[in-house]
Amino acid sequence: MQTQFLGFGLGLRASHFEQIITDKPAVDWFEIISENYFVAGGKPWYYLNKIRADYPVVMHGVSMSIGSTGALNFDYLQALKSTIARVEPQWVSDHLCFSQVGDFNSHDLLPMPYTNEALEHLASRIHHVQEFLGREMIFENVSSYLTYKDSQMSEWDFLAALHNKTGCRFLMDVNNVYVSARNHQFDAMTFLNAIPTEAIAQIHLAGHQDFGSHIIDTHDEDVSSAVWDLFENYAKQLDPVSTMIERDDNLGSLQDLMAELEHARQLVAPIWQLGVNSE
Amino acid sequence: MSDLASLQQQFMAMLQGQDNHLASHIVSDGQLSLSQRLAIYQNAYKLRLRAAIEQDHAQLGIYLGDQLFDKMVTEYLVKYPSNYTSLRFFADELPHYLRNNAPFNAHPILADISYFERCLLIAFDAQEQPLLSIDELEKFTTEQWPTLQLVLHPSVQLMHFNSRAVESWQALKDKQTPPEPYCETTRYWVVARDPERRTQFVNVALPEYRILTLLKQQVNFAQLCQSCINDMPSEKIAGFLISLINQWLERGWLVTTTK
Ligand SMILES: [Fe+2]
Repeated sequence: MQTQFLGFGLGLRASHFEQIITDKPAVDWFEIISENYFVAGGKPWYYLNKIRADYPVVMHGVSMSIGSTGALNFDYLQALKSTIARVEPQWVSDHLCFSQVGDFNSHDLLPMPYTNEALEHLASRIHHVQEFLGREMIFENVSSYLTYKDSQMSEWDFLAALHNKTGCRFLMDVNNVYVSARNHQFDAMTFLNAIPTEAIAQIHLAGHQDFGSHIIDTHDEDVSSAVWDLFENYAKQLDPVSTMIERDDNLGSLQDLMAELEHARQLVAPIWQLGVNSE
Repeated sequence: MSDLASLQQQFMAMLQGQDNHLASHIVSDGQLSLSQRLAIYQNAYKLRLRAAIEQDHAQLGIYLGDQLFDKMVTEYLVKYPSNYTSLRFFADELPHYLRNNAPFNAHPILADISYFERCLLIAFDAQEQPLLSIDELEKFTTEQWPTLQLVLHPSVQLMHFNSRAVESWQALKDKQTPPEPYCETTRYWVVARDPERRTQFVNVALPEYRILTLLKQQVNFAQLCQSCINDMPSEKIAGFLISLINQWLERGWLVTTTK
């Protein structure tokens, strides 16, 4: 499956619902948080149905916990499958991590150890999930604040191996790569260059908080200049990839987010040979 | 147990402040100590869930103040660790927690405010259903009326408090001082989404509240009339019910799935 280049998108947030249906801003596509639509109806679905009539929508989950040991959560997967059927998204993503163990859900995206065991485990779980959903999933690299002694390879070798093994493709969060690179003192471009370019289905850009000794991935700031540089350099290796700004907290106006998105477009338009006002 | 399973269990124990030896699995590198690295995850865990409760219970948060709110979050996390895949439901047991645990249980208004706030959430994302119109209602024949079952919109929720929970919630939202917390008489409330999908709350009198409670139990029109027999002269009952029904139609509380 190829993912189409949709252009430049934004994460859909409830505080912007009304403005989006009234103003129909020039955003190419929206990404929704899948679990926010695991509810029967009401405002979330009312707005989503209007918005999806005008814009392509992709789904991004935060709770699949694909890396968890233990049984797959088929209640969750069924809810996801029903939501996919209602939304008809261009594609569906979640994170390469674990969140839940047994009944306990941390609601965090916790890093996997990069071991052969984890690789086998993920490959088998991805296979079962995709079989159940009847479609391909895309997985995002998470940011991390620790590395395990158990790891037998680097995160980038792990991702490349997972792609080789399963064919699964990635939502590359360039900010997450930058955050982890700083926290673990590796070279971010080494990471990015190690992943086969045909495996990149989508790009996230987001803001973080820099504490000098370490960085926390907070999604509550503008994209940093270091991440813009990294994105621009990375874009030179890629064919056009659907790119979006992910902002969860300290959410400003839609105009502010669109200005940031326009910056992303301007940065890579010459590289990807896009019309400046490509819609 | 596999290495991976054991590592994941250690991680979860660490997040919940239980005995664990996760630190022995972590590389000591860079500019942060092991304990700092683990603390980042512990803080993120608590802050994320605190933010979820704060978002759903903004006025409760103001009513409690930062210190008590933190105490509540810390203890709620221990008593009700999340078993949900969506944060939307994580604080569902908060009213129950506040009603049953010191120091919060000494102030029943706290549980009431949190219950009211959870009802607002339900009204926000309850299922969409076509609303009943006057025209449709008028199509029912005189013979059909006694067995007619009116059905409330899924967003309609009934609650009653012996506190001024709703008035306090409104005052805090308007940045005013909340009124005296408790009142002599019970207050009856309906929370529901209106036809424009705005969440509304309406103070109703006991007779109306009783009728709405019966509707939730799926009784028919004849049974509704019967329930009023001790409250008013029988010739006034039908008129009383019709005027309520007209109000509910306007407010969007009735749906077309009548039986
Ligand atoms: Fe991301």
